[in-house]
Amino acid sequence: MLEIKNLKASINNRQILKGLNLSIKPGEVHAVMGPNGSGKSTLANVLSGKNGYEISGELNFEGKSLKKIPVEERAQKGIFLAFQYPLEIPGVNTNNFLKTSLNSIRKANGDKELDTLSFLKLVKEKSLELGIDEKILSRQLNVGFSGGEKKKNEILQMKILNPSFSILDETDSGLDIDALKIIANGVNSSRDKKKSFLVITHYQRLLDYIKPDFVHILSDGKIVKTGCSELAEELEKTGYKNFN
Amino acid sequence: MPENINIDANQIDKINKITLEEKEFRIKNLELFKAAGFPNKRLEDWKFSDFKNIVDTNFKILDTNKVTTISKKIDLLKDFEHNYIFLINGNLHSSNFDYEKKEKIKVNSYNSSSNYKISDNPMVCLNHALAENGYLLEIGKNYKFKKILVVYNLFTKNLENKILNIKNKIKLNENSELHVMDYTINESKFINNTYEEVILEKDSKFKNINIQHNKSNGFFHKFLKNKLSLNSSYSNLIFSSGLKFNKLDIECDLIEKNSNCNILSALFLKKDEHQEIKTRINHLAPNCKSFQSVKNVLSPYSKGIFQGKIYVKDVAQKTDAYQLSKALLINDDAEFNSKPELEIYADDVKCSHGSTSGSVDENSLYYLMSRGLTRADATKLLIKGFLNDVVEFIKNPSIKKFIENKLEENINGY
Repeated sequence: MLEIKNLKASINNRQILKGLNLSIKPGEVHAVMGPNGSGKSTLANVLSGKNGYEISGELNFEGKSLKKIPVEERAQKGIFLAFQYPLEIPGVNTNNFLKTSLNSIRKANGDKELDTLSFLKLVKEKSLELGIDEKILSRQLNVGFSGGEKKKNEILQMKILNPSFSILDETDSGLDIDALKIIANGVNSSRDKKKSFLVITHYQRLLDYIKPDFVHILSDGKIVKTGCSELAEELEKTGYKNFN
Repeated sequence: MPENINIDANQIDKINKITLEEKEFRIKNLELFKAAGFPNKRLEDWKFSDFKNIVDTNFKILDTNKVTTISKKIDLLKDFEHNYIFLINGNLHSSNFDYEKKEKIKVNSYNSSSNYKISDNPMVCLNHALAENGYLLEIGKNYKFKKILVVYNLFTKNLENKILNIKNKIKLNENSELHVMDYTINESKFINNTYEEVILEKDSKFKNINIQHNKSNGFFHKFLKNKLSLNSSYSNLIFSSGLKFNKLDIECDLIEKNSNCNILSALFLKKDEHQEIKTRINHLAPNCKSFQSVKNVLSPYSKGIFQGKIYVKDVAQKTDAYQLSKALLINDDAEFNSKPELEIYADDVKCSHGSTSGSVDENSLYYLMSRGLTRADATKLLIKGFLNDVVEFIKNPSIKKFIENKLEENINGY
């Protein structure tokens, strides 16, 4: 599904990713852990197609290079990024935005656009499944949302847009245990043979709820170690100092 | 005297039934206008709108001669139930108040030009000199309108290269309430110069929405003079994008206690559009409240201006005055000027003002685009979000929907 080879990325002449290799197959869940400043968010941004980075190396999604594909087309192809800091967009109703978003993705894939009624039905179903109060969707997008509500809203968006590859950028940061379970449940209930996830986190705690197939340690722009979920537990005990 | 304009002083002689006093007043104002010419940027109030230059660039010839009135039918708006006044080139053509008690409503043609103060605004002088068209509307004591009143303002094709001077007067007597939508339909490239007075007696309530039916080549100047008595309330929601030039000069006198005044605008200016909102809120009595929120979205090669002044007289204690101007510039080729002014002589007041202008936020765009929206759609969504809170002030759902659609139509053309 995703093939990254020798990926280098720099912004404002500062190199952040320094030759990163990563391969994710359909159905797999990969966790990326790493100290502050190791390049985790840059990896998420580069995958989503954020402007401003200078990139070299290979970046292939479903067999095709992503390098020239703009943000919105990547989303239409099934790449989803749950933001570390979801933005507040005043005046924009969350439901209206999500409907526009879902329909632009459906349209790009040759699917019929959903009318308001079927859209609201879908929203109801997904929020019920996640245990999220759908009332937040009639509010302005993320405006005045608590930290937890913002993150839950990201996961609800993920459920509704139904992407094939989801990146969760520190979605667990700042969450209480109940919210953490909702987030984990959002991922677990979506897991199937075709969908893959890249879960970026600081804490092993999230991985108690989302069992990754692989754990990678990112340090100074490179993946320095790959293992299974025990690696996260080891990291919890020893810290990053042994992995530089 | 402006070179490209032909103003015939004989016109004043032709105005029917005026007193000698009024005639002298008109002649005096004409002389004042002739001496000053169209206002240019050397006048502080016109520093961002050099009207002389704008007129010179856009009009080779101009005159103030009367046009023959063409009788026309209007297509009434079907989106919501309403009363209406239909004006053709400012003249009262017909009216309909089927939803109301007719004996409570007085509507007439209005062409008086007396008892006005001499102004230092040359356009107001011109209006005082030549205004012949307009309407007078008076609402009786204790009468509250059941439905909104739409004032259809049709400007016909034969107004090309004319200057039209219109004077209107609206009076709400004690404890009455009226909601008006000014709906302008313009077919000509011409200068419209309106002077409108709104007098609010004790406990009365007036709400006004301004909107254009279509994009046009109109060059509009409107001076609004509002007088607010005890406990009265005035609101003006301005959605009047679409003209080549539009300057709204709004003066509110809060002359008695507990009166309050709201001015809000949501404007989406397209290429070559120039729009100015100038306000002067005079707090002349204690415990009055004023609120101004001016929002502008500016496309490339458009220009927006907000000059807002709050004046608080020494006796106007416990004044609560707020003013905010926000501009969203779509790119560097747009221009926005803002000049907030506070002049306060009372010591126990709450006055605040703010002004921001910026471009579309790249991070917000990125967030929306990461959900599959194209850059254009994401920008439109942000623009709508930016202007939306003004629409929220409209309580009636069908009128709100109508305004939302109008705004959306405007933005979708972006």
